[in-house]
Amino acid sequence: MTHPDFSRIIHKLPEPLLLVEPDGSIVAANPGASKLFRRQSSDLVGMPLIALIDDDTQKLTRYLSQCTRTSGRVRLRLRIRRSNYQPIICKVFGGLLREEQPPLVWLRLLPFNFVKSHSATYDRGMKAREKRTRQQDEQRWRTAFENSAIGITLAAFSGHFLAANSVFQNMLGYTESELQGLTFLDITYEDDRQTNLELVNELIEGKRQHFEIDKRYRRKDGTLVWARANVSLVPGTDGVAPFWFGIVEDITARKEAEHALQITRAELARVSRLTTLGELGASIAHEVNQPLTVVTNNSNACLRLLANGKLAPEILHQALEEIVTNAVRASAVIARIRAFIRKAPAEKEELDINELIEEVLALSGHELYKNRVQVECQLTKPLPQVVGDRVQLQQVLLNLIVNGVEAMSTVTTELRLLRVQSQFDESGNVLVAVSDSGSGLGLEVDRIFTPFFTTKAHGMGMGLSISRSLVEDHGGRLWATPNAPHGAVFHFKLPIAARGVDHD
Amino acid sequence: MTSGSVVFVVDDDPAVRTSIKFLISTVGLRVESFESADTFLAEQPVLDEPSCLVLDVRLPGLSGLEFQRELAARNIRIPVVFVTGHGDIPMSVRAMKAGAVEFLTKPFRDEDLLDAIRIALARDRVWREKDKELTELQQRFESLTPREREVISMVVSGMLNKQIAAQLEIAENTVKVHRSRAMEKMCAQSLAELVTMIQKLKSPSEKAS
Repeated sequence: MTHPDFSRIIHKLPEPLLLVEPDGSIVAANPGASKLFRRQSSDLVGMPLIALIDDDTQKLTRYLSQCTRTSGRVRLRLRIRRSNYQPIICKVFGGLLREEQPPLVWLRLLPFNFVKSHSATYDRGMKAREKRTRQQDEQRWRTAFENSAIGITLAAFSGHFLAANSVFQNMLGYTESELQGLTFLDITYEDDRQTNLELVNELIEGKRQHFEIDKRYRRKDGTLVWARANVSLVPGTDGVAPFWFGIVEDITARKEAEHALQITRAELARVSRLTTLGELGASIAHEVNQPLTVVTNNSNACLRLLANGKLAPEILHQALEEIVTNAVRASAVIARIRAFIRKAPAEKEELDINELIEEVLALSGHELYKNRVQVECQLTKPLPQVVGDRVQLQQVLLNLIVNGVEAMSTVTTELRLLRVQSQFDESGNVLVAVSDSGSGLGLEVDRIFTPFFTTKAHGMGMGLSISRSLVEDHGGRLWATPNAPHGAVFHFKLPIAARGVDHD
Repeated sequence: MTSGSVVFVVDDDPAVRTSIKFLISTVGLRVESFESADTFLAEQPVLDEPSCLVLDVRLPGLSGLEFQRELAARNIRIPVVFVTGHGDIPMSVRAMKAGAVEFLTKPFRDEDLLDAIRIALARDRVWREKDKELTELQQRFESLTPREREVISMVVSGMLNKQIAAQLEIAENTVKVHRSRAMEKMCAQSLAELVTMIQKLKSPSEKAS
């Protein structure tokens, strides 16, 4: 492409364009440029651009030399002089045409008040129509702003409010004019200011396009209101400084509901823990007191015989053996309980599910006994190990067993049978099933895993939902099926430890 | 303690059962043990001598408390000493109300168990003596003729000889003869003693008190 080609092209473009030599001599000017400078194109060609500016000549020289050195477009703000000596500020974009020798610089000049003035069809009628459209547009936006169901605010870059719609005014209890004397930080609750400011800075630094924050505002009457604010920084345009645009929703009611729910959940968890501990306590007492009774009885009996001189060595020997056996038995119970109630964060280790089942059954012995439940264990031994948190899996098992027992509490005519099975499948899962002969799940089967759903008079409806999430945390699944002829079966499966798979 | 007495121990935990048996045997008492209430009822041990039960509350099958009720229902009267791994207050109240001698929590002091057994056996001995007395009274009463029984019941209800004679339309002297024969057969020294005897016979339910 040669210079004449460029001249032809720029003549077809509506914007003011010039081709200049690196020293600033104008080589070509299109009609747009001619209109801008109020001079004939032919007059412009050959003139030095320096003669046409009302600005620092050094600035132009530097700019042109920059254009010749840079590959991209270069910007400049330049004040030019028209034939009528009326200066006008232009935004200049320039670049190098390398193909030419010597190289040429093209310049695109956009006056700041450039409103389609370059257009060939521009006329006064058009301008009036545009003005009307703009006014209608503004009116529409203004109406939308005022009638929005959500709070909308505009704030200056400094943070001072420029405008606020009535929803926002009502939310905060300030009038628009009162707000205009305040910054958004002034009405932000003290504890939320830091977070808010950090997000604002990220916007200014360009790290994000907009941000959303749940924060508290302090109303004019001093009370707090929870709000979700969605804020963006609108970049400045010529004549308009950058400003903040915020959409603010009152979420006080939602926050209060969330808070109430949180308190209820914490309370439920506390009650549940106490109940479990109470039940465990009864079990612990019995499990430990049995061997202690044996120890004290044998010791006392020996002391009595000794006092009467009737203690034969073989009797003493047998009594001491009993004492040792039962002391060990007591300490085993305590070790089991310690392992059970140990309050550790999720600790994954390799576990034998059968061992867990036996421990939990031993600990629920009291509950099973009290409810006259017969237990049938069908454990596949040996089972591949699973990786999991001992306490959490015990809680799942305990929950399923206690549920099963409670489901059978109304069974009076038939045997109350709780069956616990373990097995493993080819796809590398350990399966556990806890079945009861209770009344079954009926139509509720789909809802039992929903939090707070319960069929029990004193239930909280958290057990199964918690159990399911615990099993899922272990990469497993928990589900229920009906039992024949009646009752329910709760199954869960857990993937076996990687080592276990290798051995198979 | 009386060598003729026997203590029945019912506990499902073999180690506990053996240790209780061992402890009781040190005071020279005979001990028989059972693993459940059901085996006790099935074997029906002979209760000829003063005896008592040392009963675990938590048992497979019938619980200790249910076993206590079942014995009462079957008219088997035997003092019960409860032992439990963990007892709560309502449980002990129920047991004591149903006539238990003692309610001990495992592990118990040996004196506490042996004292309770001593009290239980003494109570059974008293019951047995009362029973024996009552049986004798019944035998005596049964040796009376129908007319003598009739006269006696009227005497006890406070009627005078004359009134009895009038009501039965017999001579007053005849009444006196029936009355003295009956007194003699019942071995009653006085009218007051006779009244007591008849009351005991009328309310056999009080025999256990």
